[in-house]
Amino acid sequence: MIDRRHFMLASAASVGALAGGLSARAQELPTSYPADYKAIVEKARAEGVVSIYTSTDDVQGRPVVEAFQKAFPGIRVDYNDLGTNGAYNRIISEAAAKQVGSDVVWTSAMDLQMVLAQKGLAEAYKSPEAGHLPGWGNFNDMLYGTTVEPVGILYNKAQLASFKLPKTRAELLAFMRDNKDALKGKLATFDPEKSGTGFLFFSNDAKTMPDTFELVRAFGATEGKTYGSSGAMREKIVSGEHWLAFNIIASYAIEWAAKNPALGYILTSDHTAAFSRVANISKGAPHPNAARVFLDFLLAHSGQSALASVGAPSIRTDVTTGLNLTRLTEMANGNLKPIPVSTALLEPTEPKNRADFFRRWKEALRG
Amino acid sequence: MSLAAQAPRFRATVILTLFVMVAAPAALIIYQSFLSAPFFDESARISLEAYEFILTDPEFYRALWTTTLYAVGMVVVAVPLGGLLAFLITRTDLKGRGWLEPLVLVPMFLSSIVLAFGYTVAVGPSGFVTIAFRSVFGAAPWSIYTLPGIILIGGLSHVPTVYLYVASAMRRLPSDLEEAARAAGASIWRVSLDVTLPMVLPALVFSAALNLLLGFETFGIPLVLGDPNGILVLTTYIYKVNTIFGAPTYQVMAAVTVFLILITLPLVFIQRRLLRHARRFAAVGGKGARTNLLKLGGTGQVIALSIIGLWLLVSVVLPVGGVILRAFVENWGEGVRLSEQLTLANFQRVLELPSLSRGIINTILLAAVGGALAVAFYLLVGLAGHRNHGRTGTLLDYSVLIPRALPGLIVGLAFFWLFLFVPFLVPLRTTLFSLLIAYIIVGLSYGLRIIQATLLQVAPELEESARTAGATTFRTWRDVVIPLVRPGLAGAWAMIMIVFLREYATGVYLMSAGTEVIGSLMVSLLTSGAMDQIAALSFISILLTAIGLTLAMRLGAKIHD
Repeated sequence: MIDRRHFMLASAASVGALAGGLSARAQELPTSYPADYKAIVEKARAEGVVSIYTSTDDVQGRPVVEAFQKAFPGIRVDYNDLGTNGAYNRIISEAAAKQVGSDVVWTSAMDLQMVLAQKGLAEAYKSPEAGHLPGWGNFNDMLYGTTVEPVGILYNKAQLASFKLPKTRAELLAFMRDNKDALKGKLATFDPEKSGTGFLFFSNDAKTMPDTFELVRAFGATEGKTYGSSGAMREKIVSGEHWLAFNIIASYAIEWAAKNPALGYILTSDHTAAFSRVANISKGAPHPNAARVFLDFLLAHSGQSALASVGAPSIRTDVTTGLNLTRLTEMANGNLKPIPVSTALLEPTEPKNRADFFRRWKEALRG
Repeated sequence: MSLAAQAPRFRATVILTLFVMVAAPAALIIYQSFLSAPFFDESARISLEAYEFILTDPEFYRALWTTTLYAVGMVVVAVPLGGLLAFLITRTDLKGRGWLEPLVLVPMFLSSIVLAFGYTVAVGPSGFVTIAFRSVFGAAPWSIYTLPGIILIGGLSHVPTVYLYVASAMRRLPSDLEEAARAAGASIWRVSLDVTLPMVLPALVFSAALNLLLGFETFGIPLVLGDPNGILVLTTYIYKVNTIFGAPTYQVMAAVTVFLILITLPLVFIQRRLLRHARRFAAVGGKGARTNLLKLGGTGQVIALSIIGLWLLVSVVLPVGGVILRAFVENWGEGVRLSEQLTLANFQRVLELPSLSRGIINTILLAAVGGALAVAFYLLVGLAGHRNHGRTGTLLDYSVLIPRALPGLIVGLAFFWLFLFVPFLVPLRTTLFSLLIAYIIVGLSYGLRIIQATLLQVAPELEESARTAGATTFRTWRDVVIPLVRPGLAGAWAMIMIVFLREYATGVYLMSAGTEVIGSLMVSLLTSGAMDQIAALSFISILLTAIGLTLAMRLGAKIHD
């Protein structure tokens, strides 16, 4: 009993010391930050809370949230994983009810985030970290890309041992066409109908790659299956039900392949698209200063390192944890094509264009 | 004002409050369905666009057709099987029927999302059993992601609902007719078909109608099992319609819901009718009839036990076993030795993640404390309706019917809006109270039925004598009715607790940071494909349900109607 209490006291003390040390360190802000930034942090601390609406699941979001809380003790993070549509729907409902609940919106639905900006539901804010981002990752100092996540292939090594693996998009098309019968029911990809991310990938492909619907047609001819998430596809590739999934989030695939020797990943060397999780501050955010501090942290070296440590590669070039923009560009043979955070994202969301896309998608999927 | 005059006022207040709680979400949904945009959008105007859209959408018709097939198929699977199990367990000398009965009911207590997930990991294309079977026989000749597969699983999991009603009707039957038939030389099969079956027909028809209703509102099983192959039913169509449009299309969701109500409301009414008839029919048996059990004989025992064993294997062992196994491994597949993969990592991650660990605590709080509050509320409503033959009594009757016709998913969404836009409700939105209120409405008909059954056990003479002795209605309730039903209330609490534990659809739109619940978390995790966490949560959900059930049995909960 006594031992146990001692232990508890000791650990409480060490936690206290740790927190003390951290809060001391937390005061050190980069010199590049404006002089009045300390005042913002003070106000943020007075607000006490920052509420995040996100589509990033807890497992992936936790390291950056924890790092934030260590850096800024006293600001609690309310982390709401609502999915892309859930977050979007909640934001517009709350805005209409004049009860904005989100401070920072951070989702992978680049297009929906752009719609929010267009609807006037995003607040412009010049982050002191903005200079570290590539131009395509910053929209009018309002929407900021926080990651660069390649789109690629995950496969089961054992099942594909006897095949020549496709290294380019053209080879992928040929691979599907040449092995149409052998691959029957063995391929998987994102479903643009079920998933906003899937829609983003394929609508972007349709814009940038002329052979997109040819690829979908070849995939349809193998009677491939479509899924609503990368995780669901991983499950099927691991078990061997599917052999290869394309247009999935390859930064996850890289992590999975590192952990499970049965899995392999491919970034097509002629063209590898990449998307970015976009963050913005909500118009009328209940905790505007905490929102700024959190957004800045997401983009800062330490926040980016935390993100990159769990498979969300850094959009910066100076982050050494995990993958970053430079490293990914190399891995994609110099052909990494990030989707820019720009108004061009709105085009596929226009009802007419959307309907057009799905008409072509369904037609191609019949094989 | 005299105390005696307060009872009608109390009744009217309680019943009107309930009516508003029930009618507000329903009215909001119907109103929304006739708008061109979300009701809170400035551009919204009265329009039939949403109906035009669904009536020209082939996907909607497919979903409607699939739903119909599913509901009918579920009845076809569940009713004969449930009836057979009820016959074997209540009317024959089947061995071990004492401990078989609670086992037979297990699927009813589990959230269908947990069950469906259990089937995926056990007999799905990459399930444990499938892989083992394939490695021995080369191929596994089943596919649960097809409509027949989904129907079969839906049907099997609803066998307990049928069992409950039919078994309770069978228990009330006197056995002299069966014995006479037996004595005249009829086989046991013949007796069950020609004697027992006609007598419990009303209960069978009732449970068929009930299952038809449940089939139309089903969400969890088609969500998990239908999704991989794009099989949509009406509720999953509602859930997916936002994604298909890439923007909130509440008007379309609402319009589909109105269609669903048009189908389910008549079913609810039919059921109500049937229930009255069934009660009247069963009363023919009279009280105190001696029941002698039919002798199955040696072969009969073997056959009967095999049927029940097979059903238990498929309906309980496979899904529950699948969940348990999957919760403790991260990798499996052909050539992977499971014994080397055992890990607690899935649970560790769940406990590390604030939203998930909070979800567990919230679920327990909602079930235990919320369940008690719900019972208190149902008791108030029950008392307000108790021996109330006035106009408010009729209003109560109808108020109870409305939420039965609404899927929990939509009730949750409507409450989300109410909590967002009704000023005095606003502070409650981000607390567990918002969920509790929605849960109370979703569980209303079930909870009230338990309470009413308990209240009706108090003989009217007792109440009448108290009233004659000069007690007010309140006093009669306080000093006579409530003390007498107290043990029944404890059982009711345990049952409501289990109902709240397994709920998953209501919180999907309603929960926010701090008010997560296990079931709804699983729905949202499904979208991101985080199977490891779903497995761990499913396991915890099963564990909590087991605890709830044990408690319910200890408290003497009456599962029977």
